[in-house]
Amino acid sequence: MTESTRRSSELTAYLSHELRNALACIHQFGNILVDGLAGELSSEQREYVGIMLENASKIRKVLDSALDGTPDPIEESTNKIERVSKLET
Amino acid sequence: MDRTKILVVDDNPTIRKGLSVRLRASGYDVLFAEDAISATAALVTERPDLVILDLGLPAGDGFVVMERLHKNDRLASIPVIVLTGRELAANRDRALQAGAAAFFQKPVDDGALLFAIRKALDVSRGELRFDD
Repeated sequence: MTESTRRSSELTAYLSHELRNALACIHQFGNILVDGLAGELSSEQREYVGIMLENASKIRKVLDSALDGTPDPIEESTNKIERVSKLET
Repeated sequence: MDRTKILVVDDNPTIRKGLSVRLRASGYDVLFAEDAISATAALVTERPDLVILDLGLPAGDGFVVMERLHKNDRLASIPVIVLTGRELAANRDRALQAGAAAFFQKPVDDGALLFAIRKALDVSRGELRFDD
């Protein structure tokens, strides 16, 4: 592995870890609010949190595409679970 | 009947908090560990029903935790769901080959995670049928 490939790989790993963790926090707590797990929201509050989540989702798609080259990792993972579950039974 | 115990292993306290709110709201008891050493200790002392495991951890990584778990006959059947910020290409197949029941990158869709938890628990309890 060349020095520049190694650096590029380290940068990708760093960006993936840091950005995905930060985004996961926004996503988790936004959904906790929308689902009423921290109390009911007014319709206006719900709309604003929805806007946050929608934009977090856009950032996530950019990350998936830029760092992993996959269009829909959730669907991929769910399919994998089905296959692994059936293999284990 | 005892409630299902899930061990959440992640070094990020905000992630742990968010997962605990979601999992408790879904009826699970939640335990925590923040590094590979405390995760291994919690596995032995608490024997959770399922583990949600980050890969990037202090004092060893998630792969070390899975290796220790699978080497212990009393713990080997505990299903592990990997939830990580690490890249897909270098980690997904490796995690599944190491025995993970499922692999998710952060941020995870809550519905997909809860579905995976139910499936993994059903498989570990022998309740899953092929046509389910």
